[in-house]
Amino acid sequence: MAQENKSKVSILTNGIIKENPVLRLVLGTCSILAVTTAVSSALGMGAAFTFVLVCSNIMISLLRKVIPGKVHLPCYIVIIAGFVTIVQMFMQAYMESLYNALGVFLPLIVVNCIILGRAEMFACKNNVVDSALDGVGMGLGYTLTATLMASIREILGSGTWLGFQIIPESVAKMSIMTQAPGAFFCYGILMAGCIWLEGKLDARIERKSCCDLDNLKKEAE
Amino acid sequence: MNIVSAVILCTIVGAVGAIILVAAAKFMAVEEDPRIEEVSACLAGANCGGCGYAGCADYAKAVVLDGVPCDKCAPGGPKAAAAIAKIMGGEASAVEKKAVVQCQGSSEHCKPAYDYKGIQTCAAAAALYGGPKTCSFACIGLGDCTKVCKFDAIHIVDGVAKVDKDKCTGCGACANICPKQVIMIDAAGPRKPVVMCSNKDKGAVANKLCTTSCIACGMCERTCKFDAIHVVDGVARVDYDKCKGCGMCAQKCPKHIILFPLKDDPNPPKPVVKPAAPAAAPAAKPEAKAEAKPETKAE
Amino acid sequence: MLVKLAAIFFSMILVNNYVLVKFYGICPFLGVSKKLDSAVGMSGAVIFVMFMATAVTFPIQIFILDPAGLSYLQTIVFILVIAVLVQFIEIFLKKYVVALYNSLGVYLPLITTNCCVLAVTILVVGDYGADVAAHGFGYAYIEALICAIGAGCGFMLAMVMFSGVRKRVEACDPPAPFKGLPITLIAAAITSLSFMGFGGIVENLFNVTL
Repeated sequence: MAQENKSKVSILTNGIIKENPVLRLVLGTCSILAVTTAVSSALGMGAAFTFVLVCSNIMISLLRKVIPGKVHLPCYIVIIAGFVTIVQMFMQAYMESLYNALGVFLPLIVVNCIILGRAEMFACKNNVVDSALDGVGMGLGYTLTATLMASIREILGSGTWLGFQIIPESVAKMSIMTQAPGAFFCYGILMAGCIWLEGKLDARIERKSCCDLDNLKKEAE
Repeated sequence: MNIVSAVILCTIVGAVGAIILVAAAKFMAVEEDPRIEEVSACLAGANCGGCGYAGCADYAKAVVLDGVPCDKCAPGGPKAAAAIAKIMGGEASAVEKKAVVQCQGSSEHCKPAYDYKGIQTCAAAAALYGGPKTCSFACIGLGDCTKVCKFDAIHIVDGVAKVDKDKCTGCGACANICPKQVIMIDAAGPRKPVVMCSNKDKGAVANKLCTTSCIACGMCERTCKFDAIHVVDGVARVDYDKCKGCGMCAQKCPKHIILFPLKDDPNPPKPVVKPAAPAAAPAAKPEAKAEAKPETKAE
Repeated sequence: MLVKLAAIFFSMILVNNYVLVKFYGICPFLGVSKKLDSAVGMSGAVIFVMFMATAVTFPIQIFILDPAGLSYLQTIVFILVIAVLVQFIEIFLKKYVVALYNSLGVYLPLITTNCCVLAVTILVVGDYGADVAAHGFGYAYIEALICAIGAGCGFMLAMVMFSGVRKRVEACDPPAPFKGLPITLIAAAITSLSFMGFGGIVENLFNVTL
């Protein structure tokens, strides 16, 4: 398989640049839009997400020969749900403010397209070390992108960054950036910027939502 | 105790779920003809919708259950049609389908009626008095067909759509999306003529709208010995079941709009200069046929 | 009571719209809203699954998880139940209600692992679980079901509106980096902006506090 020739470093950087799940693969959109109101919640969500992704990748990779093909999806979901519950309980005990800030999006990590997608595309076909590295890479990519978007939204929307006042209080802020429309707008601009950059580097790919109609028709076969 | 009850609960939920699903799969199973999967495997799998169905699986179902013809998969081509026919135990036709735009209303022939500044799609322009050209049956030329073609086989040249017959697979996507319905999917092959106009007006009216329009004079209908071309609703149309490809209608058409677009030279074979004697008329026909035959052999 | 239910229903559609305000179900929103008929089909499937999922998971939370002190198992149990339920619905429809299966069937596997269904089941428990002690299970159950149907209808409103917006956007000619998904997202931003105008409308219209 081609994967065995990949160096460990390339697997790691894959998730950050080449297959960045948020900007290139258009996965995990719900959580990105919702948690990037402040940099602290973006970082917290990124950390939780990376933990769940790495652990579930490792476990699924360990069990990949044992799980029967027909029921692989429910099995993956149960494994991922288990780790999400662990993270939920940990955060509720030790990081209560972050837990309240993330709200329902913490349990929604279970149905995050990225985790299930990596499980099906990578973890079930590769060994434990590669899967763990892939998890770390994807998690890093997600966290970095979320932090970038959250920085833009927080600085423009509330004038702070991680709680530190960047823009003086007297200047009026674009509070719409911290609200729903600002999220879509910021995501669209970031993605357009990414596409423009790809154009310069000759690396453009077509972007489709994971639930696009064409994928639906293919799965219907 | 809490751990034990948690484990027990999860196990019970999982077990109950599994039992329900296994029972449902067994008792509510729907019988599916195994041929559907075999036919699906023969298809190109592109889900382009060119066959007119909602995807390869849908077409496979239609072939097996409804007896739809097996040659509708354009990307699969004759190979797929033959394979499907083998599964279904029948025979498949071997002619390749191509799209033909039945309109030649480019800017030199058909003038614009108004300067259209609206949404630049044919669908939108068609809603405004039938389109921005003086002939309201013409190809609008804003490129809806170009956008929908998956094989880069149709483009707008000088205000009218033109098909690249080498790239076209006959999938029919352009024909379906054209709001003026001027694109025909030619299943008859390169040896048969096509009337290159969709104008339903007659005589002087048609002539004023476009210089290469069908004026419904009926010359072709009178010329054809095989009753294969008729003027229907103000425009001439070929009946491909009867047409022998002799090309007499193309020679006789006063507007020269019956052409052979799937051949390398779309023009009809030059008419033989015949003496006024009636004995030459049957001689002209086999000569025209003989001219048509070597042309097709040369393809 | 009817007034309160109507208030809940309309607030779920307008004020707390699941797609444009709360960001659940963005992936199908971006992927399936290209054509009107697929948008309607997907929304229909979502309303159906949301209703059934809430109908099954709300009692499970109230009668099994809470009394046994196992509410931390909520995520695992809910997602398992939803996965089994959707699979069962698909098999059931394929056999007994073929017309519905043909129109909604292809969207059902998509909904299983979608934020919107899991979100509505968790949120409904959070919002109306406390009402069980105050007003009895039946009352809270009806509130929960109306909330779920409202969420689905809000999803349908957003999808149908956006498919219309998208049709216009696709006929336009944005700069090259914006073609495709970015301009769609910016169109979604403006659509979401229009929904911000509904803030506070329901509570003042129906004169209730939600």
